[in-house]
Amino acid sequence: MSHAEAALNGLVAIPLGFALLAGLAARRTSDRLALGLAVVGSLITFGWSVWVAASSGSTLGAFAVDKSWITSMNVRWHLGVDGISTPLILMSTLIAACCLVSLVKHAPVCGGRATLAILLLVIEAGVLGCFLALDMVLFFVFFEVALIPMWFVIESWGDEHDEAGRRRAATRFLIFTVLGSALMLVGFMLVRSVTGTFDIVEVASSYQPSGTTAVAASLLIAAGFAVKTPLWPLHIWLPDAHSKAPTVGSVLLAAVLLKLGSYGYLRFWMPVTDPSWELVVPMVAALGVVGILYGALACLAQTDLKRLIAYSSVGHMGFVVLAAATFTVGGVQAAVYASVAHGLITGLLFFVAGAIKDRYGTTDLAQLKVLYGRVPRLAAVFAFAAMASLGLPGLAGFWGEMLAIRAALDQSAVLPGGTFATLAVLAAFGVILTSAYFLAVIRGMLQGAPAEVRPVNPGTESVELVSAEVEPGSLVVDPVSLVVEPVETDVHVMEWVAWSPLIVLTLVFGVAPGLLLSPVGEAVRAYFGGM
Amino acid sequence: MSGLLVVLLVLPFASAAATMMVGHRGESAVKGIAAGAAALGLAVACVVAFPSLGDAEPLGSVFASTSSAGPAIELSFYVDQLSAVMLLLAHTVAFLVQVYSLGYLADDSRYPSYAALVSIFTGAMTMVVVADDLWVLLVGWELMGACSYFLISHHWELPEARAGAVKAFLMTRTADLGLLFAILMLGSRFDSYRISTIMSAIAEGGFGRDELWLPAVLLTAAVVGKSAQFPLHTWLPDAMPGPTPISALIHAATMVAAGVFLVARTHPLFLSAPTALNLLAVVAAVTMFLAATYALFSSDLKRVLAWSTVSQLAYMFGALAVGAYSAAVLHLLAHGAFKGLLFLAAGSVIHAVGGSTSMAAMGALRDRLPDTFLTMTIGFGALAGVAPLAGFFTKDAVMGAALEAAQDGRLVWPWVAWVLFLSMVVTALLTVAYSLRAWLLVFFGEPAMVAEPVGAKPVVEPFDGAQEPLVETHESPWSMRIPLYLLTIPTALGGLAVAYPELIFGAENEESLVHAELAVSMTALVAVTAALVFWQWRRHERRDPWTSLVLPHPPVDRVYDVALVRPVRGMAQLVRVGDRDVVDAYANGAGASARGLGWVLRLAQNGNVQGYLMVVVVGAAALAVAAGVMA
Repeated sequence: MSHAEAALNGLVAIPLGFALLAGLAARRTSDRLALGLAVVGSLITFGWSVWVAASSGSTLGAFAVDKSWITSMNVRWHLGVDGISTPLILMSTLIAACCLVSLVKHAPVCGGRATLAILLLVIEAGVLGCFLALDMVLFFVFFEVALIPMWFVIESWGDEHDEAGRRRAATRFLIFTVLGSALMLVGFMLVRSVTGTFDIVEVASSYQPSGTTAVAASLLIAAGFAVKTPLWPLHIWLPDAHSKAPTVGSVLLAAVLLKLGSYGYLRFWMPVTDPSWELVVPMVAALGVVGILYGALACLAQTDLKRLIAYSSVGHMGFVVLAAATFTVGGVQAAVYASVAHGLITGLLFFVAGAIKDRYGTTDLAQLKVLYGRVPRLAAVFAFAAMASLGLPGLAGFWGEMLAIRAALDQSAVLPGGTFATLAVLAAFGVILTSAYFLAVIRGMLQGAPAEVRPVNPGTESVELVSAEVEPGSLVVDPVSLVVEPVETDVHVMEWVAWSPLIVLTLVFGVAPGLLLSPVGEAVRAYFGGM
Repeated sequence: MSGLLVVLLVLPFASAAATMMVGHRGESAVKGIAAGAAALGLAVACVVAFPSLGDAEPLGSVFASTSSAGPAIELSFYVDQLSAVMLLLAHTVAFLVQVYSLGYLADDSRYPSYAALVSIFTGAMTMVVVADDLWVLLVGWELMGACSYFLISHHWELPEARAGAVKAFLMTRTADLGLLFAILMLGSRFDSYRISTIMSAIAEGGFGRDELWLPAVLLTAAVVGKSAQFPLHTWLPDAMPGPTPISALIHAATMVAAGVFLVARTHPLFLSAPTALNLLAVVAAVTMFLAATYALFSSDLKRVLAWSTVSQLAYMFGALAVGAYSAAVLHLLAHGAFKGLLFLAAGSVIHAVGGSTSMAAMGALRDRLPDTFLTMTIGFGALAGVAPLAGFFTKDAVMGAALEAAQDGRLVWPWVAWVLFLSMVVTALLTVAYSLRAWLLVFFGEPAMVAEPVGAKPVVEPFDGAQEPLVETHESPWSMRIPLYLLTIPTALGGLAVAYPELIFGAENEESLVHAELAVSMTALVAVTAALVFWQWRRHERRDPWTSLVLPHPPVDRVYDVALVRPVRGMAQLVRVGDRDVVDAYANGAGASARGLGWVLRLAQNGNVQGYLMVVVVGAAALAVAAGVMA
């Protein structure tokens, strides 16, 4: 086995292998050992992915596995990485490792921690397979591998207060995604009927889509990924799934699984689509922008923190789709950047939301108050993540969205300029709405009057406090809101361990956008040829 | 030199990180780090800035560049005369604010995060003034907005602090979209994001008159938001619940001053776009008068000062609109000195009377706060334009430029210049009136307890009601008084700069900054106005001469509420309901009558997932085969 083969196959085999080992350990010895194996497996996978990233180039080429797999259908075991997939692979292995590490300290209420860890590893293997696959059928297979375990994760470890709700959420998640992937598969078949191959690299380099079949294939594939990304109005499974899933499930769903959709657009939809078709591409871009505004408006009216974060994903992924639909190098760069940033930031937001739920037993925004005073560090991490998510320049969230807007203003010459300029302006207003709802959450959930606070002069409009009377962490908690533990604990060590990579990378990608942009640019030029 | 620039940029952030790390574990260490880093920052800023003043060549440096689609995004910096004076201003005020805060927030449990945010604020302003790449500028620009958001809501237990912070952030961020789109347009037009490259390309000419009007107007929108000009002026007075030293920082040297800086930095672009200049001039003329009027009727000391900032910034925008670059920058510097002084002195007064910002709670403090009285008198004098303090000279330079533009204007339409000039004259008189009124109400008249006739309830309630109702007034600690005295030096002597502008701007600068006739006539008008106000005050038994007049709250807020906030809220509710009831309907299998999807859904909801999965996979496979056969 060559170096490349070992590296790429290993990326899928290691998490699967450790899942198997952990499964054996859980059966034969103890759950603790199984969990330990799973954590080690995720860390090794992360290390392995770093090695793969370091030893591969930024374009698809010699660093690949290409073997015959199902000969009768000419399906090939074709794996490879380039600058488009590497950032997503690294982000996925990192998030998966963070999720598993966070399980060490935090046992799910209903037990079965080792099984949960094993399922996470299986999901990770499926996701990595998707990011590596360069054969359409192979992609579909890995796509399904990543889906089914997630159904179990939501169904068995979801919201313990709402069994019916979590079952409904899990089922809806599965139905939507599997139906989406079926549409996608049909699209792939249509592409093959025209091109005679499932190999997307060949398709990208030589296929000139035209005619009804090509349009139908493009639409089917777009619809399939629209479910996963999600694109309005196919987002409907997402709020339920994300809010009912356990913390690690929500993190993985938002940070990693949604990226299968956005990556699918870049890798599999763009090559089979001709931007000069009159309606298809502008329509996809418009749906992305509708998602941005719709998601933000939905967030403004949400009363549940996890649902709010879930809807915010609809908006952020709208930027990714808008960027991809510009059919420019800058657009793909923006899409990859926004995908990675969304993974880091929303992952962090869901981790914090989970930590809040652990402490207070609820994510109902009406019941959560004055977290600045009760758990100042946790609240500060949330405020940081919120600032990153609302696209504050200097943090990772900004660049992806800014570049998406730039790409929309500077779209491919064959696309209608006026439409895309309008979409860019609308998307920019989505950023303002995003700021509005995150500030509303900070105001309602983190801030507030802990004790009775009277203004200094009741007659005047303005109040000045020379010294605040509130000591952080030692507040009198108002009896209205429910508190589970008598002693409220702030962020503990294992949480810092699991979260700090996300915090640090949000900062790093905020100040150094060049880290990601250059390799993506090279990969796009190589992959799409003349773009 | 560029190494020092990196130090200057990194230092505030490092200090903020260190402050947050140490946190509550070492109170005195935090204070040492915050004040020490600010002092070091000031020293480095001096070393970087002084060689760049006068005839020096601008210092440009590029540290990193991103090869991406479109123009490169670079980590590039550019220090010219303008950057140099802004660096000095920002770091001086930031240092004094950190020192002052040692006393002002001595007992505050949130001091560590406060000090860290002040440091980040300083770093962000530094980034703005030395940035060459427009994106670096935008990062600093919005980082300042975020810092001010957190600092305004420092006392987050107060509803007005929470509301004011959100309002400030949302209004400025919406306006910032103008900057974002201006950057994108300039980048695609000039194939570069470097300010120096773009500005020299514009200065070299070759562009039609007003060809670049759109980016210039977009920039105007951004600075109108950031500098709280009409019609986005309402956030600044509502930002007053923040700690007073923060107001000094925001008003004197960072945040709102950044708007003036941006127009000065991109002045060639504005000069090539008369549309934007006319717009800027009209906005300035309206804003200065409106804000001064609000200042005249406000009963809250900090709000008087906040409105006066809005009004004085409008002077600077007016000057820039008529092409008087040096006059605008000098007025910005003078304003930085005296407004910093006024806010810090106001903090000292507020500290002394136990936390109230209402002028009704003050009065007759002259003898009890002698140091504050002396320094604040000089500050008010400079604000009102009393000769020979700094504000007198710089305001004269600004107004002289406006008059010249009105007489033989080339940049803006003559009637706009006349409106601007007349507004400047009227506003100057209003400024005298509100300064004198505030000064009289705070330091003269009767002590608050006796003078205030509001029922039996004591007006000034100490914060924890257990203490005695009568607040003991006392002079502030030395850490708060020293910054006051230090700021009086530039406030009193800074006006001399108009005599030697070449020391700052170099010999090429040919703007006439001294207008003797105008200065004499303005001084006469100022004296008459002051006498009128004084007479009114005496006539009203040495109390507020116009308590009975209440100016309604800025009506623009209502417009925003009706036109924007409520529709958005309504739409949000609509979306929520829609998502639940309409879009959800298809997912819930409301179309169970329809076969196909409805059947699959029912199957799945029975929990029979294997059966359902089989159906889906088989279905997909069947479709796939069909597709294959078709082909």
